Amino acid sequence: MPVSPTAKKGLLFDVTRCVGCGACYQACKERNRLPQTTTDFLQDHLSDRTFTVVNKRQNRFVRRLCMHCEVPTCVSVCPVGALEKTPTGPVIYHEDRCIGCRYCMLACPFSIPRYEWSKVLPRVRKCDLCAERLANGQPTACSEVCPTGATLFGEREQLVQVARERLAATPATYKPGIYGLEEVGGTSVLLISDVPMESLGYPKGLMKEPLPLLTWKVLQRIPNFVIAGSALLGGIWWITSRRDKVKQAENQPEENK
Amino acid sequence: MFARKVPAFTFWRGVLAVALGAGLYSAYLRFTAGLGASTALSDSFPWGLWIGFDVLCGVALAAGGFTISAVVYVFNIDRFKPIIRPAILTAFSGYLLVIVALLFDLGRPYRIWHPLVMWNPRSVMFEVGWCVTLYTIVLALEFSPILLQRLGLQKPLRLIRSTMIPLVMVGVILSTLHQSSLGSLYLIVPHKLHPLWYSPLLPLFFFVSAIGLGCAMTIIESFLSYRAFRKSLEIDLLSDLGKITVVTLSVYLILRLQDLIGRGVLKEAFEPTYEGRMFLAEILLGIVAPIVLLLIPVIRRNHFSLFVAAVLAVLGFIMNRLNVSITGMEGALGHYFPSWTEISVTSMIVALGFALFATAVKYLPVFPAEDTRASGDAELLAPTVLSQPLFSSTTLVLALGGFFLGSSLLLGGNGLWLRMQTKETPVRAALGSPPGMADRYFTMPADISFPKAESSPGQVTFRHSSHVDAKQAQCLVCHQERFRLLKASAPATRAGLDLHSDPFCGACHNGEKSFNVKEDCQNCHEAK
Repeated sequence: MPVSPTAKKGLLFDVTRCVGCGACYQACKERNRLPQTTTDFLQDHLSDRTFTVVNKRQNRFVRRLCMHCEVPTCVSVCPVGALEKTPTGPVIYHEDRCIGCRYCMLACPFSIPRYEWSKVLPRVRKCDLCAERLANGQPTACSEVCPTGATLFGEREQLVQVARERLAATPATYKPGIYGLEEVGGTSVLLISDVPMESLGYPKGLMKEPLPLLTWKVLQRIPNFVIAGSALLGGIWWITSRRDKVKQAENQPEENK
Repeated sequence: MFARKVPAFTFWRGVLAVALGAGLYSAYLRFTAGLGASTALSDSFPWGLWIGFDVLCGVALAAGGFTISAVVYVFNIDRFKPIIRPAILTAFSGYLLVIVALLFDLGRPYRIWHPLVMWNPRSVMFEVGWCVTLYTIVLALEFSPILLQRLGLQKPLRLIRSTMIPLVMVGVILSTLHQSSLGSLYLIVPHKLHPLWYSPLLPLFFFVSAIGLGCAMTIIESFLSYRAFRKSLEIDLLSDLGKITVVTLSVYLILRLQDLIGRGVLKEAFEPTYEGRMFLAEILLGIVAPIVLLLIPVIRRNHFSLFVAAVLAVLGFIMNRLNVSITGMEGALGHYFPSWTEISVTSMIVALGFALFATAVKYLPVFPAEDTRASGDAELLAPTVLSQPLFSSTTLVLALGGFFLGSSLLLGGNGLWLRMQTKETPVRAALGSPPGMADRYFTMPADISFPKAESSPGQVTFRHSSHVDAKQAQCLVCHQERFRLLKASAPATRAGLDLHSDPFCGACHNGEKSFNVKEDCQNCHEAK
């Protein structure tokens, strides 16, 4: 699959093809220089030292990693712009900006970002879709080592096509629908499966609109609010103070008489 | 005035000392061992007591300041002028303490100024950061006349007073934005916050309830200041504040109920869940009870009963903020209970707030009794308050607080038990081949041929197919630590290394796990 360097990249994870070998898990650890955290990788969970996991659920193997949303909630909530959605897909983290408010962790609909709780000056840690490798024209480390093609790297548009073809070719094998195509406005990581993704630990009932719209609807009213509010307060003050002045003016001549 | 004797060791000074001691020790733990070691916070529950109580409730303390100053300066209702100073003092100390709490909660507190320089106007937290900064400055300016008057600096005093009207207007706008933006913070978690608390109207709820809290706090402060310093406000004024509190709380209650009915989730309040119980406790004890009490004129006309009703309203408010930030999140994020370090830091901050307020009331012209009213008035006030014996009123307050806390804990505990009962037991995945195996295929990586050394009896080629069971490939048996994966695509040059040794083939081909490398060269080396 030819991949353009400027196009939006992504991953397609096919639950029916994963054999749970853990190559992606290990490749991620090696590429991010993360320490080993467990003797049984299938039991591991996301942490500040593990950016992706393969877990066994419903007799299937399912990966968990940052979904790299098209309109990321974490990017919108960060007060200092420490998280950034790059044009080629990855959501990356600028450590030098982060103040450690952890709003990204609270707001992420997939609860992905992790924190270095044991450190005095902690960072937020998560998968960055191997942004550096992507910039060099390489695929992500996890997809490069996948022996079954369960994790497929490519342009997001192409991956959507691949997923649609697989769903159309063997409709009996798959649950209809691509998880991540529309969830919270779409994600760069797409998943297809023979059981609902919700039964494999993925959040269910996510809305189709990007979550940042919920706060943006309120925030964009601020300029108008400030102008209208100032005018209103000024108006009230003018009326009430003038009323007092008039009252004083009316009273004074009478007192002078 | 300043030449006083050594302060006596009273009960409340003892409490203050204990809170300070424990808090300072916790602060030491927090800043030397980090958040993980000193708090109950976790990846799944990143915001706890410090945000839920210290920040959300601390900011709301300022609501009295902007409401009363708007009433007096913008609406020109001079009757409320005596309340303005205690209200602004409360607001100012509230904001200072929020900043202290933020320094504890932020992972990198020394970067607290970053939002002022590194902008992201789409973030509610960015708005919160700017509002905290600007409104703290406005409050400092609004508070400065009290200090300037005490120091007798007339020139700057006149200057500040001449700018008071625009300053108050800026303060009202900033405060409205800030109170509501704390609610907006939670607009972005519709899938995590329980429907009893998640609402598109959260900003409005936070704003209205903050005004109620502002009035209730002014009543409480007035009562406590009288108890401590014999400085207080006329009962007529406080009674009117009680009326305003009733109106605000009623508007708030109607808005909340309408919203719940509109979204069709009111029935969840009556379900036997943890959230349902906590919601009912918040609404009944924290909103309905103070409304009912304050509607009764006899209660409104008495300093002490007015104080009790105000305490209920404040507790209800605190419960709401904790329900939004903690209870309502527990269903989605898991259980959270603050660690003793979190609690003691919060207690220290609250104690500091009381100490700050008390010090200011003692040394600055905060309450009008000293400078604008004859001292005789204070004496007239005395009988109504002193008719309540000091000891019994304290007991009553403690009993009330105990009842409130106890009942909410009991309800919470009961709900927790119910929740555990109905919780699905996670199905432990059975072992074995996953279904639909035929659909899967395993592409073995290419064979790896090692260059032949001079002394070698023949070329060695490593084949994954003879080492791995394609049906249950477990790459990490070998590739965890021992053989690095990413280098697989690089040419396998092992020249100069003894592949027979432990980190290589010899690791398993040792006669125990598999045949020994020394057994038969032809096992691996191709014949010449």
